[in-house]
Amino acid sequence: MNDETNHPMERDPLIERVRAALRAAPEGASHQRAVARVLSVAFASPRRSVFRRALDAWRTPAFTRLGAVAVAGAALVLGFVTRGAYVAGPDTEPMTSSGSPTGEFPVVRASDIPSDERLIPTQFILDDHKAASVSIVGEFNQWKVGATPLTRLANGVWTATVPLSAGRHVYAFVLDDTLMVADPRAPKAGDADYGREGSVVMVFAP
Amino acid sequence: MPDTPPSSSIDPTLPLRAKAGDRQAFALLVDAMYPRSLRFALHMVGNREDAEEAVQDTFVRVYQNLGRFRDDARFEPWLFRILANRCRSLIVKRRRHSDLIQYGEVPDRAQLVTNGVEKDWTEEIYLILATLPAEQREAFLLRHVEDMAYEDIAAVTGVGLSALRMRVKRACDVLRARLTEVIRDE
Repeated sequence: MNDETNHPMERDPLIERVRAALRAAPEGASHQRAVARVLSVAFASPRRSVFRRALDAWRTPAFTRLGAVAVAGAALVLGFVTRGAYVAGPDTEPMTSSGSPTGEFPVVRASDIPSDERLIPTQFILDDHKAASVSIVGEFNQWKVGATPLTRLANGVWTATVPLSAGRHVYAFVLDDTLMVADPRAPKAGDADYGREGSVVMVFAP
Repeated sequence: MPDTPPSSSIDPTLPLRAKAGDRQAFALLVDAMYPRSLRFALHMVGNREDAEEAVQDTFVRVYQNLGRFRDDARFEPWLFRILANRCRSLIVKRRRHSDLIQYGEVPDRAQLVTNGVEKDWTEEIYLILATLPAEQREAFLLRHVEDMAYEDIAAVTGVGLSALRMRVKRACDVLRARLTEVIRDE
């Protein structure tokens, strides 16, 4: 965002040097653990209640401009909507499966796994009609090509369900045992070990 | 230089998905923003332990308050607003409760990765940065390290544009003058 608001005096070699030094990234070694720790604390904390959210909405200028009748009507609607959200809201959705774009694949629920199991089945999908074989590589199989093959379904989609521990995992697909590609559906990993672009999946314990 | 990813690398749908209860989306947000958040906090508070505490508190607050995040808002200024508040609170708390933390103390940034080219200057830069008043340091970091527009910095800090420009200019003046002295002494 180097916009025109930038003061001309700010751009000089010395400031650029300061800027370059301060932009150095914190060491990445503990990044994964730190993120996992943050997530465990965040997910253990309660999100603000529906009541508080309604109260916040009440305090916004747009809301307070509504008349008393509109407020009462909105409160009634809010009651139905939030009750619905609470009963069938996103928090009740499975978190551990990457989901199916076609709806043809069974969803693995983390809650179906025995509580003493540490590994969570996680589904990977690749839509590639040209490949003769596809496998997945990552830290979970020591990046061994061919160790975890994907199965080709009738519609040409490749799929595999891999038991993974909770946390962040970097992975890639290998086409025909030769070509490594990132998962086009997943966020890119900037820290893939094999020197090419990888993908990230976050797995949560039930 | 191992820069952290720019904000544009974040999928703009992630905050909305996280708001809707998608924990995977929230996890990806944390994963994407953690390095930048930690970098900012480290430069603000000066030591790793406090910086990690500030970042963790920030993401917990973000998670708890996702329901308040407006659909048309941008995530980055919101995140940094909470983070900057946490850093300010920690600075005040440390200054109030511990005489060991001296203003201008050499910050603990040993974990920051440098490319070696400016390594000799990096320590000097950290030292000078630490001597800046917190509000100048904050404005300078948001403008020149996080590359935020002044309008966004105003949203983060709650300070007017002209005052922010003045803070950044003063920070630049000090950095420039002190680094010039360092070069002259070499």
